[in-house]
Amino acid sequence: MTERRFEGIGATPTLGVGTAVWYRPTDVTDLEEPPVDGVDPVAERERFDAAQADARAELEAERESTRERVGEDEAAVFDAHLKFLEDPQIESGVEEALEEGLPAPHAVKEAFAGPIEQFAGMDGMMAERADDLRDIRDRLLRLLTGTERTDLGSLPDGSVVLAELLTPSDTAQLDPDSITGIATMEGGRTAHAAIIARSLGIPAVVGVGDELDAVDDGTDVVVDGEDGVVIADPDAATRERAAESTQTAVVEESVATADGRSVEIAANLGTPAEAGPAVDRGADGVGLFRTEFLFQDRAAAPDEDEQYAAYHEVCEAFAAGVAGDGEPRIVVRTLDVGGDKPIDYLGLDPDENGFLGARGIRLSLDEHADLFETQLRALLRVAATDAGAGLAVMFPLVSTVEELEAALEQVESVADDLDDEGVDYAIPELGVMVETPASTYLADAFAERVDFLSIGTNDLTQYIQSAQRDLDRMSEYQDPLAPAVLRAIDRTVTAGHAGDAWVGMCGEMAGDPDLTELLVGLGLDELSMSAVTIPDVKTAIREVDTEAAAELADAMLAADTLAEVRQRL
Amino acid sequence: MERILTVVPDDGLHARPAATFVETAGEFDAEVTVAAVDGNRPAVSADSMLGVTGLGVRGGDEVRLVAEGPDAEAALDALEVILSTPEDELDEMELP
Repeated sequence: MTERRFEGIGATPTLGVGTAVWYRPTDVTDLEEPPVDGVDPVAERERFDAAQADARAELEAERESTRERVGEDEAAVFDAHLKFLEDPQIESGVEEALEEGLPAPHAVKEAFAGPIEQFAGMDGMMAERADDLRDIRDRLLRLLTGTERTDLGSLPDGSVVLAELLTPSDTAQLDPDSITGIATMEGGRTAHAAIIARSLGIPAVVGVGDELDAVDDGTDVVVDGEDGVVIADPDAATRERAAESTQTAVVEESVATADGRSVEIAANLGTPAEAGPAVDRGADGVGLFRTEFLFQDRAAAPDEDEQYAAYHEVCEAFAAGVAGDGEPRIVVRTLDVGGDKPIDYLGLDPDENGFLGARGIRLSLDEHADLFETQLRALLRVAATDAGAGLAVMFPLVSTVEELEAALEQVESVADDLDDEGVDYAIPELGVMVETPASTYLADAFAERVDFLSIGTNDLTQYIQSAQRDLDRMSEYQDPLAPAVLRAIDRTVTAGHAGDAWVGMCGEMAGDPDLTELLVGLGLDELSMSAVTIPDVKTAIREVDTEAAAELADAMLAADTLAEVRQRL
Repeated sequence: MERILTVVPDDGLHARPAATFVETAGEFDAEVTVAAVDGNRPAVSADSMLGVTGLGVRGGDEVRLVAEGPDAEAALDALEVILSTPEDELDEMELP
């Protein structure tokens, strides 16, 4: 088959190869006729209010996840959406339509029609506001009609997403680990999807036009964001060119600084499915495997065998994919619920189990001790397998030595049980996730009792700075470079090493290649991050001189203000 | 009370500058309207995202702010800061 070329506008200077997957969201504007005998305006008003509140909550969550995954600038579009959502002109338009006796969805459609038409008639950036308004309207309509959201977050690896248009709410769900390209019929270089794609490093071509429709689902596609062309059924030469031009070359082997100090570069995983792509990006192992996914979106907790299978799957993916001596280290964090991670059947309460309440290890040692025991049984069994030889288990939110000792006793007790039952088991490496101020002060005591410490900078920053992560107004406090946070990290690394524990970092800070030299200078032995940034950080490690890095770290630790820290970076 | 200001953010009153502008206008009791000095569109309420964005104001354009109410002056001061701050500095900005 000869290749077919579709010209568009290149939005990212990169190329990607993958399989076409069409994204065709349900048309929520196609409403049924309103009932002939009318509706109850009061009930419809309440229905609208509820949908507006849900839309607000969704937007706030998407803003937060975009801020975390991409950046502050890219998250700003959601601020604009929140303002449009509660615009007085829209609200009065809905009000009027409801008074005329329309059902809530019809009222929403009518209230947005005028403004959308007005903006669509203007040029350039103004026309893009019409897309924003359509996105907000469709969000409200989806919530009002109970339409299921078309899921963009769990596409197969190597998907090239084709769409008429991707809205901010669509792009907020995109997973750069599985998506190798984006091509849209509409949109320009400044369209939101183009901006997000650039930030996430996803090759993208926009504004291809209706011709894109000729590319069927399942077709092999090259997205050439450099030349702005989508190539369907590419020939061998095109494929090769695309394969050669990935951004930073993947470094498969483990890396050391220019003067020879090894630093382990690992991936943070949320599901076993992410293990393969992480191996492909050169992860040496896993520094944080969050186990919450196993417990979420279901009616009851997973049993021991299901957990065993999930943990073993990750160990196997790495054992098979990573070269080197011994099995790759896979750090599994025991269940960390509460705070911002609710799970229905656990009956958690936003206050009782909030950021300063019963969460993490506190729940595992108390009302959910049964879940903890089951999880430990599965983990100790995996540790006895060939692939699981590098397994390590980490406890979240430990803030006292008593808690740690109780958790370690539980490991011993599970081991005794398995022994009595004649089940194969092994005690894995054990460690503490350092994420509370208390744990930084007790790091020496922890290090005497466990094999490793891993610093979770996202929560550590929140707790050290006493500023809640999900509060927008507190965002200026959320910088892990704040002097208090840097000093807490330094204290932890020093105390860990004094107690012969290795010390890693699994917060977002670890994945920033601009901070790699500083982190090496602070003495971290392992950095664990979202898989996308691994090639960049591995490349950065090789350029670090340990002595210069230590001097940089000292200079930054001596700074008393965030501004001074930034200046010295 | 009235003030004529030049819009500094390159993209004008769009996206984040507009959202911050609308948010800030809503924090004051004063009724504030905004219009493009060269435009032929009528003045719009400063607390309407649709209205403010719909003005199509770009960086370098002049706008006329009119405020009425007890805290009119404070409102104009706050909005002036937003209009005269480049977009990439909005993050660090502390509103008066």
